[in-house]
Amino acid sequence: MTSATLTETTSLAGWLRRRRGVLGMVALMVAFPFIISLLIDGNGFGAVINNDQGNARFLQGLAIEVFILALYAISYDLILGVTGLLSFGHAMFYAVGAYTFGIMLKTHEMHWAAALVVVLIAAILQAFLFAVVLPRVKGITFALVTLGMASVFWIVIQSSDLQEWAGAEIGLQGVKAPVWFLDTTNERFAFYLVCLAILALVFVAYQRIVDSPAGKVFNAIRENEDRALMLGFNTFWFKVLVLVVASITAALAGVLHMMHQPIVTPNVAGLGFTVTALLVILIGGVGTISGAIVGAAVFRLLQFYLDRWYGAASELLIGLAYVALVLYLPYGIVGTWRVRSVRIKEGRARLMSLLGGGGGNEAEPAPPD
Amino acid sequence: MTTETKSPETPSRSRQAEWLIENRSRMTVLAVLIFLFLAAMAGLERDDWFATIMQGLSVGALTFLVASGLSLIFGLMDVLNLAHGEIFMLGAYAGWTVYTRFDTAVDAGVPLLLVIAPFALLPLWRRLANRIRELGVNWHAVLWFTALGVAYLAWVLLFAVGSSSEAGEAAATGGASGPVIFIVTAVFAVGGWALYRKWRTFDGSQDSIDSAMKLNAWSFLIVGAGATVTAITKFPLVIWNAEDFARSPSNFSVQIDLGTLIPLPADSFAWPALIAFAVLLLGGALIALGLSSLRSHTGESTQVNWKHWAGFGGMVFAAIVLYLGKGSLNDWIFGLSTTWRFFLAILIATAIGAAVGAFIEVVLIRPLYDRPIYQLMITLGVGFILIELVREVWGRPEFTMARPAAFNGTGEGCPGEGIGGFFSGCSTVEVFGGRLRVYNEGFVVLMGLLVLVGVTLLLKRTRIGMVIRAGVQDPDMVEALGINVRRVFTLVFAMGSGLAALGGVLAAPSIGLSTGMGAVFLLGAIVALAIGGLTSFPGAAAGAVLVGLIQQIIIRFGQTGISVPFVTEPFKPSPTVVPAASILLMVVILLVLPSGLFGRGER
Repeated sequence: MTSATLTETTSLAGWLRRRRGVLGMVALMVAFPFIISLLIDGNGFGAVINNDQGNARFLQGLAIEVFILALYAISYDLILGVTGLLSFGHAMFYAVGAYTFGIMLKTHEMHWAAALVVVLIAAILQAFLFAVVLPRVKGITFALVTLGMASVFWIVIQSSDLQEWAGAEIGLQGVKAPVWFLDTTNERFAFYLVCLAILALVFVAYQRIVDSPAGKVFNAIRENEDRALMLGFNTFWFKVLVLVVASITAALAGVLHMMHQPIVTPNVAGLGFTVTALLVILIGGVGTISGAIVGAAVFRLLQFYLDRWYGAASELLIGLAYVALVLYLPYGIVGTWRVRSVRIKEGRARLMSLLGGGGGNEAEPAPPD
Repeated sequence: MTTETKSPETPSRSRQAEWLIENRSRMTVLAVLIFLFLAAMAGLERDDWFATIMQGLSVGALTFLVASGLSLIFGLMDVLNLAHGEIFMLGAYAGWTVYTRFDTAVDAGVPLLLVIAPFALLPLWRRLANRIRELGVNWHAVLWFTALGVAYLAWVLLFAVGSSSEAGEAAATGGASGPVIFIVTAVFAVGGWALYRKWRTFDGSQDSIDSAMKLNAWSFLIVGAGATVTAITKFPLVIWNAEDFARSPSNFSVQIDLGTLIPLPADSFAWPALIAFAVLLLGGALIALGLSSLRSHTGESTQVNWKHWAGFGGMVFAAIVLYLGKGSLNDWIFGLSTTWRFFLAILIATAIGAAVGAFIEVVLIRPLYDRPIYQLMITLGVGFILIELVREVWGRPEFTMARPAAFNGTGEGCPGEGIGGFFSGCSTVEVFGGRLRVYNEGFVVLMGLLVLVGVTLLLKRTRIGMVIRAGVQDPDMVEALGINVRRVFTLVFAMGSGLAALGGVLAAPSIGLSTGMGAVFLLGAIVALAIGGLTSFPGAAAGAVLVGLIQQIIIRFGQTGISVPFVTEPFKPSPTVVPAASILLMVVILLVLPSGLFGRGER
């Protein structure tokens, strides 16, 4: 028994089996543009490779936005949902990635790899900037300090003093893709695959982090920091670790955003964008890493289609939906699914027995213990 | 002695010395602030300093009006109300409407009165709800299926038929009425099936009665809200006339200045007046019935006496009179001086702010007392909704508002001279060589002081103030003493929102209206709160003044430039960077003193 579990946890086959959900999802998403091209556009597979106009290309763009939003929200979930740090400055993490990468490419004409290294350093530095205040302030005061720091960044980035670098309130524009696989206009499918791969890797890594011993300490900090301290964990360094990981992830999302959008406005550093992350993980389920991805997909698609159907009133509808979610679905989609999965499975078994005709008693699942 | 220097009982230190040592970082921060302030004053031009301070106080007074409510709410309920800035904005828009377009305010009053009127008969609805609770399951089922059928019929009549008659418009918006009809019908069918299931599984136990009542309540609420919204859009409100609003972009203020604003005639009814009145009353009644069906009312008074009927009748009568006499009322109001209208605007906007605050507290914050983080999130969402509502209702995001006549005088002897010149009826006065605006630097600061004194007196001298202060210390203990803390929560939330709305009206003539104004002042108020100590009311006032002063001084220095040592070119911050200064100050102060300048220690 023990050896069987051991091989299952160590062998490649076991790993593949445990990650079959992620792998299946990735395979589906790789096939997604081809399916759309074939079924909706009526074009062949070549249309996707050749970057032809059509639904396939458009939906790839929408999917890329979902991936980027998911990457951003997943990092916020690590801070807020897993570790319980109430940070209102998360948009700054994202904006620093986007602006640093753009300015390095445009003004300093760096090689893209070097620019990525600069982004990495900037991300780590700003995580430490947030971490410096951690021992002094807690709870709501930490939220205010982080909100303050992000607001300063937001104000500075749109001031006319930085016009030639950040483009003031218009935003940073005119950054050319430095390398073919980051070129969303001419090589959309390649960029799509890059975003998908990064999201899948980050997702697997985050699940690994949350399940690791360090992840248990993160949860302990959320539940009761004093007790975690009493147990002998230096919670400060665990929180620093969380901030650094989240900052790097969010900055990476910012880099992809810079490459995907023709223009980056200062809005991505504002409180509104932090609220977007909050909204996404609330839809998906706070503290469930996969919830961030589900939430990002639901949020972006809802936003897009509500905007298409209702125009200006869509924002109001999203606000109302948000309030309804907070009141009536506090665990989000994934959270509620996990809470109710036993009952949902029972219901499905009953439905199957109903469809199969008779024999309902045999199909009844064992009661949950 | 040598080993016990750290003990607080050491006799060699006096009490004052103890206090100084305990508060040494606080004292240091205060000293540094005073030094910075004096240095900044010394650096200014001689005739500028008074004007700069007064402008700082003006911004500080507006910030204080937002911060005071925020501080009371946070102190008492531990809710950082992130929608507070949007209530400030709502106050400004409501005030603008009463001040500049009183006709729309009168128009909106009629349906509002009609919807609220049935709430005067609350015991009646409670009794009715209890009666429904005692009904058999079949009657419940009849109720549900009737509600479902009415909702479906209303949808078919209002949307499906309406859109097919306007075929051109339907085509322009995508024309997908076929699939939409199918989907909605399918949703209704699934709902009907679920209701059928509920009916069949009803077993008469307390649980199933409760869940059936919950379903009743929600069907009342949904049908009532639907009827109300539909009837209001069919009501002849000037404000819904988008063309009217778009035609003269922000000309209203100019017209009101010249005294040539003529109220426009309302649209003709889309529905006959009697039907619209009846549907609005019905909608209000259904909402009231739904709200009282949500829980059982055993032991509460369900007796309807003549006072309830008088309240109901009075409101309906007022609505009818308002509707019939709105032409002459408008004429009378528009004949008044703008000063009187401005005071009317202040009163009405403050009342609206308080009402909105009470509504938010009762409906949205109260169910979440055991989930504090979610309270914060819901206030965020409410702020978002308020901005979008303002955008939907007022149509255009930005307006200007003329100053009332009393503060807008020009002509002989203006600008007035000296401090006494504030009463000369001029729009500006010259004091100590600097030019001040009477409204901004006189009236607004005065109102801020009045609110400070008024709220301080309320807190220190009245019984309710005592309860509030005790609640800030320990709400559980206050509750244990038999005081209804929930009611105090609602009261404080309403009061804080009213103060924010008052700030909005006062700010409107000096800075204009925009949907972003709330966020700016909320940020300032949060900074003020954090500087002053989150739960301290005097701290909020001091922080607000500090924020205002810093902003104005930085702006003043931005014009002349700050001479930095060892750099020849003076540093000139652009005006957009100004808010950053106060936020940086907040971050620094919070890092040195996590509980702010006046806050108590770690909680």
